[in-house]
Amino acid sequence: MQSKPMAGRLPEPRSPMADDGDETRFCGTCAFSSACIAAGYDKPELAELQCLVEHVGPFRAGEHIFRTGDPFRAIFAVRAGTVKTRMVDKEGREQVLGFYLPGEVIGLNAIYPEHFPCDAVALDTAYFCRFSFPAMSALASRIPAVQQHLFRMLSKELGTASLLAGDHSADERVAAFLLDLAGRYAVRGFSGTRFHLSMSRGDIANYLRLAAETVSRVLSRFRSQKLIEIEGRELELLNPKKLREIGQALLPE
Amino acid sequence: MRAGEGIDRLAAMAIPITPPEFDPALIARYDVAGPRYTSYPTAPQFKAEFDEAALREVIRASNEEPIPRPLSLYVHVPFCMSPCFYCGCNRVITRDVTQADRYLERLYREVELIAPLFDRDRPVRQLHFGGGTPNFLDAAHMGELLESLARHFSFSHAADREYGIEIDPRFADGAYIRNLGELGFNRISVGIQDFDPLVQKAVNRIQSFEQTREVIEAARASGFRSASVDLIYGLPLQSVEGFSRTLDQVVALNPDRVAVYGYAHLPEMFKAQRQIDATDLPDAATRLALFGRALEHLSAAGYVYIGMDHFARASDELVLAQRAGTLQRNFQGYSTHGDCDIVGLGVSAIGRIGDSYSQNARDLIGYYAALDAGRLPLMRGLQLDEDDLIRRELINELMCHGTLDKRAFGARHRLLFDEYFVRERQRLVPLIEDGLVVESPREIRVTSRGRLLLRIIAMCFDAYLDDAAQAPRYSRVI
Repeated sequence: MQSKPMAGRLPEPRSPMADDGDETRFCGTCAFSSACIAAGYDKPELAELQCLVEHVGPFRAGEHIFRTGDPFRAIFAVRAGTVKTRMVDKEGREQVLGFYLPGEVIGLNAIYPEHFPCDAVALDTAYFCRFSFPAMSALASRIPAVQQHLFRMLSKELGTASLLAGDHSADERVAAFLLDLAGRYAVRGFSGTRFHLSMSRGDIANYLRLAAETVSRVLSRFRSQKLIEIEGRELELLNPKKLREIGQALLPE
Repeated sequence: MRAGEGIDRLAAMAIPITPPEFDPALIARYDVAGPRYTSYPTAPQFKAEFDEAALREVIRASNEEPIPRPLSLYVHVPFCMSPCFYCGCNRVITRDVTQADRYLERLYREVELIAPLFDRDRPVRQLHFGGGTPNFLDAAHMGELLESLARHFSFSHAADREYGIEIDPRFADGAYIRNLGELGFNRISVGIQDFDPLVQKAVNRIQSFEQTREVIEAARASGFRSASVDLIYGLPLQSVEGFSRTLDQVVALNPDRVAVYGYAHLPEMFKAQRQIDATDLPDAATRLALFGRALEHLSAAGYVYIGMDHFARASDELVLAQRAGTLQRNFQGYSTHGDCDIVGLGVSAIGRIGDSYSQNARDLIGYYAALDAGRLPLMRGLQLDEDDLIRRELINELMCHGTLDKRAFGARHRLLFDEYFVRERQRLVPLIEDGLVVESPREIRVTSRGRLLLRIIAMCFDAYLDDAAQAPRYSRVI
């Protein structure tokens, strides 16, 4: 066997991985840190409150984080990787409900029914913070900022459905989808113009209620119009302004 | 692939093409065995561990890219009516045309197994029939095969589709070629080797200029966009005078591309070559003079040297792609459609899907047995790792464009070029001293002296070549 030289490799770029925290500090993208810090609580004090934050993973591509009907005990904040949530109907047809990036939280839609109403599946190698929900709600009752933050996340979760609502063209949907992802990456300090599309085109198509061929056709057209550059799964937004014009009906102001 | 990798690939900047400098003494010094790098890693690195499950997974993943790559189909027809003694290809000599039926039965089965794994919106932009002798198949069989491929894959209807076929003019006439045009072929590649009757006799391939012209003219008349011809130097009894006459005749045929391959005499590997009397082979100096003559003659006739064995008219797409920095290596040599996933069909065919290579069983027995058992006839393959991908791109750049921007390359692959390639740059030192290559902090550039020794330069970056056992399996570099 030949040896593969590793000298001369540069370190990995700061990838969409929220894993810079430790025992006393929050991860940069922690879904709760801003709320807690604003309220004067830091991580050691949260531990005292027995708010169990447990690091879980890795989950490999295709593995379930939870399944439909599992009892609801915790919500999960994505630390690294990408997750899709989906429902599968009696005929076995899949419906993709959403994609979750580092810093985002899955499982919020299980709070009321107390069991998970959907599956969560890792799209690539994924790591999570698992927040025990009984502990979480106890914390929310003591710290109004945490409660507000939970409400905010819940309403955002409800809001994402608007990307799909109404009678919009494939171009509008795809442009809005790309800009939505870009915005979510940018908010968490990652590049908002260059990112990796971890989801398959089948998943994108399913989510946008389009045919897979249509998604590719629209992306090809955007590429030939120099709105995007795409190679494999690496995407670059060359003209976000124009894309925003195309997708504006589906995007928040 | 990581974020940004490859996206900022050398944008459409014009790359000046250095004409090669022919120095027989220099070339003679580097006359060692080396791979042709139609793939990297080369085929000897393919492993049986890359099995059917791995191939299926690679294909599935290729369908799930945001814009799945178009397809390039390679179809291997292994039969030849008569043995050319120089041949090192995978082929079966027979005049029994019923062999075609038995072969096609399995080929259709392979198509039925593999085609459904590819999403139907992936157009077949490129099709290539190679051999053996593809025109071993008569018009009826050829029609049936095209029909099967068109039914199971989605043929492109775009004007830039490239559907090519290799033709042995001894077994094809104008009517046959017109039929191929009607079936959708638009590129033809014609074997010539040498028109010198003495050489033709010594290699058991008697082929007249008139036969050859009939095929090429029929192709032009029936709408083929491109005609290329193959020559071989280093054949028994070849002389510079005789080869010059051949080159005159080739220029008169006015092909768009000319390939001039060096004959590699490896009788212990290729049985047919044992028919060649080694004492008839031209000596090293004559060998080089033959190639030098081809270079001079074709350049004077307006052909541009692309690299390795390949020449093309100045207006040809290969030349334009080389200037634009978008040329790629592939199994046929150089290509302008590097963005396709290649599906290899037929015995011994090699595919390149995503970051993998895969090769079918190399003999008919194994190929038939797998398909009769309902399995894909995969024999071996390779999933490229990150180091392989880095070196593949590097070798591609040097062989296609002759220049490598070390900083841009390093940035794209997250490496400090000079450190990552310490050993490789040491191997380059003698080549730099001989003036084949120049290295600066910014770039590695192949000089006009190095252009005829691209394989030697590429070999410096081949991570698998430490293994001395590989050496005898490759032909000489020029």
